[in-house]
Amino acid sequence: MNHRITLTSAVALFAASALWAGTATAEDVITLGASVQLTGTNANTGRYYRDAYQLTIDKINAAGGVKVGDKSYMLKLDLLDNQSDVNLSVRQYVQLVSADKVNFLLGPFASNFALSDSSVAEKYQIPMVQGGGASTQIYTRGYKYVFGTLPPADDYYASTIEMMGKLDPAPKTVALVAADDSFDVSVAKGTRAHLKDAGMTVAVDETYREGSSDFSSILTQVKAANVDAILWTGHETEALNFIRQMKGLNVSPTGLSAFTVGVPTADFRKALGDDANYAFGMTSWLPDASLKDKWFGDAAQFATEFTAKYNYAPDYHAASGAADVETFVEAIEKAGTLDPAKVRDAIAGIGFDSLYAHVKYGDNGQIVLPQVVVQIQKGDMVPVYTTDFINKAMYPVPAWDKR
Amino acid sequence: MVLAQILLNGILLGGLYGLMALGMALVWGVLNIVNLAHGALIMLGGYVVYYLFTLGGIDPFLALPIAMVVMFCAGFALQWGLLNLVVRSKMLNTLLITFGLDVVLTFTAQLLFSADFRTINPSYAGSNFPLFGLTVPIVRLAAFGVAVALAAALWFVLNRMPLGRAIRATAQNLVAARLYGVNPRVLYAVTFGIGTALAGAAGGLYGMISNLTPYIGASLTAKSFVIAIIGGLANPFNVILGGIFVGVAESLTALYLGPTYTDVISFGLLVVVLVLRPKRAVRAA
Repeated sequence: MNHRITLTSAVALFAASALWAGTATAEDVITLGASVQLTGTNANTGRYYRDAYQLTIDKINAAGGVKVGDKSYMLKLDLLDNQSDVNLSVRQYVQLVSADKVNFLLGPFASNFALSDSSVAEKYQIPMVQGGGASTQIYTRGYKYVFGTLPPADDYYASTIEMMGKLDPAPKTVALVAADDSFDVSVAKGTRAHLKDAGMTVAVDETYREGSSDFSSILTQVKAANVDAILWTGHETEALNFIRQMKGLNVSPTGLSAFTVGVPTADFRKALGDDANYAFGMTSWLPDASLKDKWFGDAAQFATEFTAKYNYAPDYHAASGAADVETFVEAIEKAGTLDPAKVRDAIAGIGFDSLYAHVKYGDNGQIVLPQVVVQIQKGDMVPVYTTDFINKAMYPVPAWDKR
Repeated sequence: MVLAQILLNGILLGGLYGLMALGMALVWGVLNIVNLAHGALIMLGGYVVYYLFTLGGIDPFLALPIAMVVMFCAGFALQWGLLNLVVRSKMLNTLLITFGLDVVLTFTAQLLFSADFRTINPSYAGSNFPLFGLTVPIVRLAAFGVAVALAAALWFVLNRMPLGRAIRATAQNLVAARLYGVNPRVLYAVTFGIGTALAGAAGGLYGMISNLTPYIGASLTAKSFVIAIIGGLANPFNVILGGIFVGVAESLTALYLGPTYTDVISFGLLVVVLVLRPKRAVRAA
């Protein structure tokens, strides 16, 4: 009997304390949930999101948090490691909304992850703002709860192809090399259309399996076709292999070679050393002081703080992730409530200046931004072209043995 | 011309594939351990060469023997302290423990080395020379040469040296080997050490041709597995030939079917070998 009483009171006490703890935290905290690649093959890029989310949240909390009506809330990050496994990441998003009861969702890195994970947001009707997936496939399903701060993958090469038309001599034949995942398939599809409009011929059009490390067969065909330009899309580790093998097999197009990823990343340039020179790339963001921000001041200060805290330089992935957090703060304050549906409507109508860009989402939920064409010149990344030349492009790119 | 170049690419790459599989085949054949951590050991070998090159300033090809010694010691210790517990036990036990080892090594590597991309990039890494109108990449050719030389050395040790006789005797008949004074515990550790040293050399060469991250191991284990089956576990040269076979098959697939299908072909080959020559494969295993 005594025993039972003790047990009952212990349970009651535990329940009461749990209830008390629950109400205390639920009242003044807004939790943002995300599952990001902290380990596994995508860990290298996943860290940008982890660090950008945390830095931005800390900065906003230090400035007083989020104001909803006359009450202030602190932001909290609930971050899980999806180990670069898409299936695990979907389960983790389900866990975040159903067990952890997070208020809103931030995204993972990469289109194939965002494509699957956004379905969880849509199903549970919790808004997700993601800065890691650019594939248009994410936004063509009629989803209402998914927003993205990377510009459409279809148009990644639009500015590069426009620039190619203005170069002298303008490249006429192009080799298009793409990985077979969601993002790169979108890029390749859009690029084919842009090339056709520009009157350029696709002489080699090859798709390779995601994660491939050997490109010698593709490169041999590219060399035989003697093209003016290579437009390449895939992942950073594959870009590294591709460039190294280009040199090994002495493949150099008469004009230029351009890459969707890698070029803006410091780690990438370091790994390649001098071989990175002349490579063209693109970025939707540069750490420019002209991009004003409510919390960080401007993009340059964001980059300085980010580098000081994490010991590596942010690129567009990080800036995009920071803009996702800021989107929620702007939208929640505008909506004046934490109700997911009302915040969703607020996000759809939002328009604010941030360290990343002027954030405004299209009807499908995706931001529209131009890609800045960049080139590695003597080890530094130099912006070359947006709608007109910013700096002189080093063109045509000399052959490997003439550098 | 394109075909000839692609065949050359396949052969050169295949030699390195063969070297990757060599250590796995040796350990599998003698210790009956299908080492799922083999790819992780290749990865570690790559990092050893990377740091010897970047921090020590040692030419990567000269660093290879040093890395092999380091990896031999690591392999010896691993077998002595851990894997001797499961040697000649049920296949499931060895698979479980080596799988666990793979996870531990991979994540330790991320903690120690971070997920940054590393390339072993000596000044001559991208050099090449023309030969009958073909382009021959120097590092790939050298990697091929090292692979064949190490296979020859392994063959010599196994067939002409007392140590090799002891290794083969232990693999064939443990009791008889013991009666002749072989200490299996030491011998197993030495064998695993040799396998690990070969993996280390393969890792160093892989870092020169491709790039290193803590996560390259899994796909390399899978590739090594396929080649070890195709090449058989008995003769080092057959393993290298198996590697070349897979390398050429992948290159031709990339040319005629498209690069998307290279893995389908290499694992498809595995199935074909198992169907056509099941006895040999099973006996070898």
